[in-house]
Amino acid sequence: MRHFVLFLAVIFFGLFLAVLNRSDSQSGSGVPTLRVFGYASFTGKWGAGPLLKNEFEKSCNCKVEFIEGSDSGILLQRLKIEGESLGADLLIGLDQFDLAKATSEQSWRKLSLGELNVYESVKPALVNSYFVPYDWGTLTFVARKNESAKLPESLDDLLESEWTRKIALEDPRTSSPGMQFLNWVVRSKGEQEGFEFIKKMMSQVHSFAPTWSAAYGLFTNKQAKLVYSYSTSPLYHKFEEKNDDYISLKFKEPLAVQFEFMGIPEFCRNCDLAEKFVNLMLSPQGQKIIMEKNYMFPVMKGVAENTEFAALMEEVQPMDQVEIPSSAEVDRLLKKWTELRRGDIN
Amino acid sequence: MLVAFFESVKYVGHLLPISFLRIFLGYFYLQQALIKYRGDFLTRPRLADQMAEWLPASLAPNWFKVFASSQMIPNWQTVAFIILGLEFAVAISYIAGYVVRPIALMGIILCVLMLFISGPQSEDLYKTFIAIHLILGWVGAGRCLGFDYYFFKRRRGIWW
Repeated sequence: MRHFVLFLAVIFFGLFLAVLNRSDSQSGSGVPTLRVFGYASFTGKWGAGPLLKNEFEKSCNCKVEFIEGSDSGILLQRLKIEGESLGADLLIGLDQFDLAKATSEQSWRKLSLGELNVYESVKPALVNSYFVPYDWGTLTFVARKNESAKLPESLDDLLESEWTRKIALEDPRTSSPGMQFLNWVVRSKGEQEGFEFIKKMMSQVHSFAPTWSAAYGLFTNKQAKLVYSYSTSPLYHKFEEKNDDYISLKFKEPLAVQFEFMGIPEFCRNCDLAEKFVNLMLSPQGQKIIMEKNYMFPVMKGVAENTEFAALMEEVQPMDQVEIPSSAEVDRLLKKWTELRRGDIN
Repeated sequence: MLVAFFESVKYVGHLLPISFLRIFLGYFYLQQALIKYRGDFLTRPRLADQMAEWLPASLAPNWFKVFASSQMIPNWQTVAFIILGLEFAVAISYIAGYVVRPIALMGIILCVLMLFISGPQSEDLYKTFIAIHLILGWVGAGRCLGFDYYFFKRRRGIWW
């Protein structure tokens, strides 16, 4: 036993010294570090984050460091649990369902951005002075061309037997697109009929993945035939993989709209740098990077023109009114969904 | 001690295949620990992120979920340090064949922890590892091609 304890003590002491030595050699560079907290597909090497970081570091005399969260739905949960110890100066990737919760759980700095030349459809998202949208998109089901004879054209078509266990959906409790789907159904059909529809959908769903990327992985691995994703997802396959086999479906119901917001927590350490980064993201250069790497529509006018994004923006039929629901309303819908889900599992 | 290390093959040679399994597993743990050490496992809250993501769907008992949310996620750096230290300990112990039995117990605890906080994609892997740790601990895999033989020969007892 003495040998074992001594052995563990030596290992941990050695590791402690190694870590201490490493942090000593890494510190002391002298330049301030802007810490940006965002979801994985934004901060990852294939996302918009690294390009924005390079652009920003050219002029700021600072370093940009990303803190990665796996999905936008998890960001707020992490921010609540870790608070100031997370060390984030800027939070990127909240959607409209998170805003009320974010405002009630954290203190945020007011953003003074002046008049923004945004699209008409984006204006309803500018109501909050603590958060500003940096991109937006509509959500729908994405399928592979030629895999099915008849693709769904309305929500009710999803209940057909061909799609049984073939639809990849996201869990609305942890994923923002999952919450968007729930809201889309409820708003399209009304609450009572909507939840009846969701109850029937439980048998159609392959699984409720905790994140968008997990659900999309099921689809690309051909375990699912349909996935609830962004209307712009096929453009990603077209441009990045030169694969034109994917299609975003048109539904007779107007599509759900997602805005992605950024905000500066009150406890930020490099708040001025965070504001400058926000300005970069709203500049034509930043918006272009976001559009091309994040595969979402830009919020500012004059960026998407003469691109396939502009054509798609014209084509999609978003919901007329974008409402920013209260935190209690979101919780109520989620509670109802959870009860349904529990009933389905049991 | 070095003589005893090789002499073990002669006297407990029936454990030789198991000792290769032990060394292989030790090498695997060493690789994993080095990847974590060289990467940002200790500096970025990947572990906290992973726990926040998977805990709601985890098979872990409720008391563990409460403990993980209230203690482990806020103190992710300490938890990451402990996990990394244990991985190095398992790696070195298994490769050298030293204190294999108690380390196998630690390995089981580590695997159960990882099973609770990781997603379903690694569930099968950790369950298999638990079985291997159990076997290695049970047979005393450090006695063949390992320093445990030296101590076992002189002191006996259940720790070698």
